[in-house]
Amino acid sequence: MTVHTTAIQTPVQHTLWDAPKKASVLVVELLAGLNPLVVNRLREMGLEPGQQLLSLGRGPFNGPLVVQIQDCVYTLERQVAQHILIQPQL
Amino acid sequence: MKKIVLVGKPNSGKSLLFNQLTGLRQKVANYPGVTVELKSGRFEQFELIDYPGAYSLSSLSRDEEIAVSKLNDALQDPNTALVICNLDATRLESSLMFGLQVQALARRQQKAVVFALNMADELQRFGHQLDTVALSAALGSPVFAISAKTLLGIHEFRQGVLALASAAEPAVPAFDHGDEQALRDLSRSLSRQYGIQASLVLKNQNRIDAFMLNNLSGGLAFLAVMFLLFQSIFTLAAPLMDAVEAGIGALAQFVTGFIGAGTTTDFLNDAIFGGVGSFLVFVPQIMMLTLIIGLLEDSGYLARAALICHRPLSFFGLSGRSFIPYLSGHACAIPAIMAARTIESPRKRLITMMTIPLMACSARLPVYALLISVLIPERAYLGGLVNLQGVAFFGLYMMGIVIALLVSLMLSRFVISRDEKSDMPFILELPNYRLPHWKPLIVRVISAAKSFVYRSGPVIFAVTVLIWLFGYFPHDAGGLEHSYLGQIGHFIEPVFAPLGLDWRYGVAILMSFLAREVFVGALGTLFGIDGADENIAGLAANIQADGLALGAGVGLLLFYVVALQCVATVATIRAETGSNRIAIGLVVGYGLLAYALAYLAANLL
Repeated sequence: MTVHTTAIQTPVQHTLWDAPKKASVLVVELLAGLNPLVVNRLREMGLEPGQQLLSLGRGPFNGPLVVQIQDCVYTLERQVAQHILIQPQL
Repeated sequence: MKKIVLVGKPNSGKSLLFNQLTGLRQKVANYPGVTVELKSGRFEQFELIDYPGAYSLSSLSRDEEIAVSKLNDALQDPNTALVICNLDATRLESSLMFGLQVQALARRQQKAVVFALNMADELQRFGHQLDTVALSAALGSPVFAISAKTLLGIHEFRQGVLALASAAEPAVPAFDHGDEQALRDLSRSLSRQYGIQASLVLKNQNRIDAFMLNNLSGGLAFLAVMFLLFQSIFTLAAPLMDAVEAGIGALAQFVTGFIGAGTTTDFLNDAIFGGVGSFLVFVPQIMMLTLIIGLLEDSGYLARAALICHRPLSFFGLSGRSFIPYLSGHACAIPAIMAARTIESPRKRLITMMTIPLMACSARLPVYALLISVLIPERAYLGGLVNLQGVAFFGLYMMGIVIALLVSLMLSRFVISRDEKSDMPFILELPNYRLPHWKPLIVRVISAAKSFVYRSGPVIFAVTVLIWLFGYFPHDAGGLEHSYLGQIGHFIEPVFAPLGLDWRYGVAILMSFLAREVFVGALGTLFGIDGADENIAGLAANIQADGLALGAGVGLLLFYVVALQCVATVATIRAETGSNRIAIGLVVGYGLLAYALAYLAANLL
């Protein structure tokens, strides 16, 4: 039996919150909806389109995301991480 | 005196550099309601001012806003001769952006800037050579690679700073690097060119975090650290507290020995040495707690602890960083409220401070011990493993925590508004694990003790004297019962009657608004037991013989779980929030809730 895959690929949008542990990803876009002050801070932290990030996994008990940006490690809570669109780095 | 301004990001070794340049003598200026602290000290002929660590010059919270505006003021001040910008040499990529922002700001005000790339000893360990000459040519301001910890390059840095600060013409940054985007691009390219590889620096940190932030090992490590913290608050501070108590006692005897019996001696003994002394007793605990929290923070663990607690606590409108203050609150609410300064969001900080007084602090212990031995029979189950009185104790502790979480939930949902500047998201940098240096820790411990005494002392003094006067006069009438306080007790007896309590409990409750543990001593006086603090069993027997209904007794316990009866705590909340309304509102709010619970217990049980 053959399995037919659908021909039309729906674009799946991955956010940083969904990034698997130890995955290296690229920032695609910061989605609208965050406080502009927070967006500014994220940009200063290096969270800009094209920036490479390393996801270090969630904190204990499904806590905030731990992520390496440039030469620093930060934690981002869900509401922030879900506003960061990423694509896996190949 | 000409000033030198020191700025830098958190966790970049700035406090240690400040201490190395100025020595241990320094002044701290606080701003009410926010955690902004400006430290200043002497560096040769200059005044060196340490500004709070900031991640950026575009502020996110009110604390940051005030810190940045203070910095702006300093840059406009004609007496400011130089700005030292302290950065982490191992993390150029994330710190140069801040450095460039500071430089641009200083350039607009025609001020000289010097960069201190701190923690260069760690670069050396990795065999990385930082080309400071080329970097300073690119930045347009002098750059020094130093280590405040190992004193690497400090001598040259001191000379450089002195020369720059004394120069007739300020060494204003040579170039305008452009707008924010240009600064970001420049900081990236410079760090690629001169910085050390991130993976090298972060290798160790990420390896330790794999253990510390793992569900199982991380959870166990967390419990172990917290257990040690809790233990040391009680055990390490206890001998120091005893020493303070003994010292005050000896001083009291010495002073009153000269005066002889009379009103003056009674006043000195009970109001001054007794009342004010009982608040000085908390100083060792505050110092111990500050030391331990400082150790946790400087070693890098505090950020991890906050991360671990964040999710469960955020459900109740609290931050991960609320955990340490809550835990400390079981020893004493005062240092706990001061420890809430580390909470990133002012809104969550406020909620945390408002609910800390519900933690079963050590002053409640004697009250709980007395009432439990009156109400609960001493009975053991499971071969002595479970003790009924012990269970009651545990229940009271848990009740404090549960009520605090519920109140937090309510405050965060319905009472405290969310405006942009007060609800900062939980973005936390996980700093490298480091061995803490003793110098900044000592300074911190001393300044915590000082700020407690100076800020809370006057209020406590005033209230102590007032309550003493009411309890003492008219003096020839015959004891507490006929004093003004006793008369007030009789007068307000109708207030306590619905709780099943007579005027004696009313007086004891009133007096314990000074400090909860006063309840036991006051009740002792009224039930004719001298030294009730040491003879709780005797007092309990007297109260049992006198007859205290179960409902009224349980109600009284609930009252003590909830009511905010501690002048020192109220004074600290007032100082930390800068608001009388919050401080008084809490006393009234918790008082009403306590009364309602006690009423229910007295009438339903």
